[in-house]
Amino acid sequence: MFKALKEKLFSARKKLENSLEEAKPEIAVIPDAAVDADILPESVSTPASLESERKSAPKFTEKLVSFVRDREFIISEKDIHDILDELEMGLLESDVAFSVTEEILSHIKSDLSGSKRKIGTSVDSIVRSALADALLGVLGEGVDIVSYIKEHDRPVKILFTGVNGTGKTTSIAKVAKFLQNNGFSVVLGAGDTFRAGAIEQIDVHGQRLGIKVIQHQEGSDPTAVLFDTVEYARAHQIDVVLGDTAGRFHNRANLMNQLAKIRRVIKPDLIVYVDEAVAGNDAVIRAEEFSKSVGIDAVMLTKVDMDPKGGAAISIAHAVGKPLLFIGTGQAYEDVMAFNPSAVVADLLGDA
Amino acid sequence: MLDNLGSNLKDALRKLAGKTVIDRAAVEDLVKDLQRALLQADVNVKQVMQLSQTIKKRALDEQPPKGVTAREHVLRIVYDELVLLVGKTVEITLGKQIILMAGLQGSGKTTTTAKLARFFKRKGMRVAVICADTFRPGAYTQIKTLCDRIQVPCYGNPAEQDARKIVRDGLASLKDEVIIVDTQGRHALEDDLITEIIDLNEITRATHRWLVLDAALGQQAREQARRFHDAVNIDGVIITKMDGTAKGGGALSAVAETGSGIVFIGQGETIEDLEWFDPSSYISRLLGMGDLKALAERVQESIDEQDIDVNAMLSGKFTLRDMYRQLEAVNKMGPLKQVLSMLPMGGMDLPTEALDVTASKMNKYKIIMDSMTPIELDDPTVLNGSRVHRIAMGAGANLDEVRELIKYYKMMKRTFKGFKGGEKGMQRLMKKFGKMS
Repeated sequence: MFKALKEKLFSARKKLENSLEEAKPEIAVIPDAAVDADILPESVSTPASLESERKSAPKFTEKLVSFVRDREFIISEKDIHDILDELEMGLLESDVAFSVTEEILSHIKSDLSGSKRKIGTSVDSIVRSALADALLGVLGEGVDIVSYIKEHDRPVKILFTGVNGTGKTTSIAKVAKFLQNNGFSVVLGAGDTFRAGAIEQIDVHGQRLGIKVIQHQEGSDPTAVLFDTVEYARAHQIDVVLGDTAGRFHNRANLMNQLAKIRRVIKPDLIVYVDEAVAGNDAVIRAEEFSKSVGIDAVMLTKVDMDPKGGAAISIAHAVGKPLLFIGTGQAYEDVMAFNPSAVVADLLGDA
Repeated sequence: MLDNLGSNLKDALRKLAGKTVIDRAAVEDLVKDLQRALLQADVNVKQVMQLSQTIKKRALDEQPPKGVTAREHVLRIVYDELVLLVGKTVEITLGKQIILMAGLQGSGKTTTTAKLARFFKRKGMRVAVICADTFRPGAYTQIKTLCDRIQVPCYGNPAEQDARKIVRDGLASLKDEVIIVDTQGRHALEDDLITEIIDLNEITRATHRWLVLDAALGQQAREQARRFHDAVNIDGVIITKMDGTAKGGGALSAVAETGSGIVFIGQGETIEDLEWFDPSSYISRLLGMGDLKALAERVQESIDEQDIDVNAMLSGKFTLRDMYRQLEAVNKMGPLKQVLSMLPMGGMDLPTEALDVTASKMNKYKIIMDSMTPIELDDPTVLNGSRVHRIAMGAGANLDEVRELIKYYKMMKRTFKGFKGGEKGMQRLMKKFGKMS
């Protein structure tokens, strides 16, 4: 998973490390002038003024004091500029959206440049932690759906939304299977009453998995279908309701209002936004719009098997600031994985 | 598609205005803006870098021909290179043919298949569809329902697992001129599915193999396109879901990768929403040079001459009556925004409120105008408080709605006046392009 992104990150990291290693001797030549650095008068550069200038371009004297007295040196923006450029290309090529890429880079830049490094500490750990911070800051924390359901009143209502063709219906079938395997009873609501064949599609999934599917006619009110589904779950003491909806574009006010209505009426516990890993910059735009108009509690990323790059995961997670719940990795019911951000970041920053 | 490109370029080009010598800094700014816009539109990173380097090099190295200003020279280069990026024009032939649809899951193959069937049927061809998607539950029901709506025969068998057999049987039983084969969604890393589509290509001896791509597809587009191309030799790309906010840059990369062109663009969920694509007129539109050819076609297709008098509109004689006709015509012609984008406006800024009037509001406006007298329709300046009151009563609307209509009318009038006045330079430029190309 995310192999290409991992390789990009790895090579950027190595280059950052190399350039920081190279930056060191350049400063190390200087100290002849400051044989007795320890007795340099404090007034040259008090700790207070040091602190205030930390993020601006360090002066020579400051570099010197810092190097000699504290046995550390200051990383300048120049040292890492080229590598950051390269990292930018790498992130863009991995489908991390343009705006998100800029943000990650500025995070790393402000983290690294101007920061001081103790001589003898490993460059690797500095670079790695800057990257990990930036990525984790973007990916946020995961959710454990099983304990979430256990902690909440039954039935737990989960609504799936997203634009057309991202794989909502297939994802619902996979999540249903996953929940079944974890000992929960499930009912599906065929809330996509618009697309021809959608009701048949979810119905077939239901039959294969032995799960009841509540359905109305094509073209009927999705809110009514999902309301009936919740009622059915109440009457039959079913643990989880999974509600399908028709794919819709975020720039269609009427369709978004329809979702808002569903939300008002059935009051879902979780709104899961489904998008595909192959989406590019638009992933950010539409995730933001969905988040604004109907809300998003968690994200499910599909078609991850199609795309080893994985930038969309980062873009979407960043845009909505909500955890990734699951990722879909294939066409079979078993092809679904819970998403664990720290594991993913650790994996991304592992050795390629 | 690359809509934000237009406004970025406009700003960049402004810096070159009036200069006779190409200013290096201005060109670099322009290239940077171009890069940014293309990257945001999901065009492949490597392609963006290549394209921007070429433009920079040409802009700085080539001598502008005599009498051509720096700005026109650079604009011309940008136009050339963008037309190259978008690929060649794919002509649609109206003869006996078999079309094989390929694409990733969820890209909109089935919907597009039905749209294509309708397109050929409207051109007077006998069309049939074969459903070779044996995997996704409900796929047959979906295409069958859509085909029934447009009265096109659909061959398929949801019980049969073998797509090859369905296609063979289908071809044997269908005698129609145009046969469109919808296939299962697949991505290029699934070997058995790639083998399947290679087989289907051989069985059908397809005239065209069109790749259906989602406008939102990112950097992955190029790789996927390459693999599909290696497998079945893609000769056209259809971009779907252009009615969202996605820019389709990934699909452009796919075009470049396959050396083909964009055939159609899918613009919506209903079965009519399919547009034939012409690269040069598209880029003209993008750079604000207008696409009068497409406008003329569109107008001819959908509107009687009395409906809209474009010249009257442009000359500033725009009355409520014109607006009434326009609202009626808009229903037939598609959104005003699209229509206006075909006019040579030099990418001038239109008030978005003027364009985003919803269909229901349009209806309301029509009802209000129905309550006006002919004098009011011809000369809206006579509208005063008591007239507004009378109109509101008559139309069952409230005063605010009538005032809103008048406000909208004034805005439209200003907008049309703007076309006429400001952009003389653009007209001159258009003439020049006419000569050059």
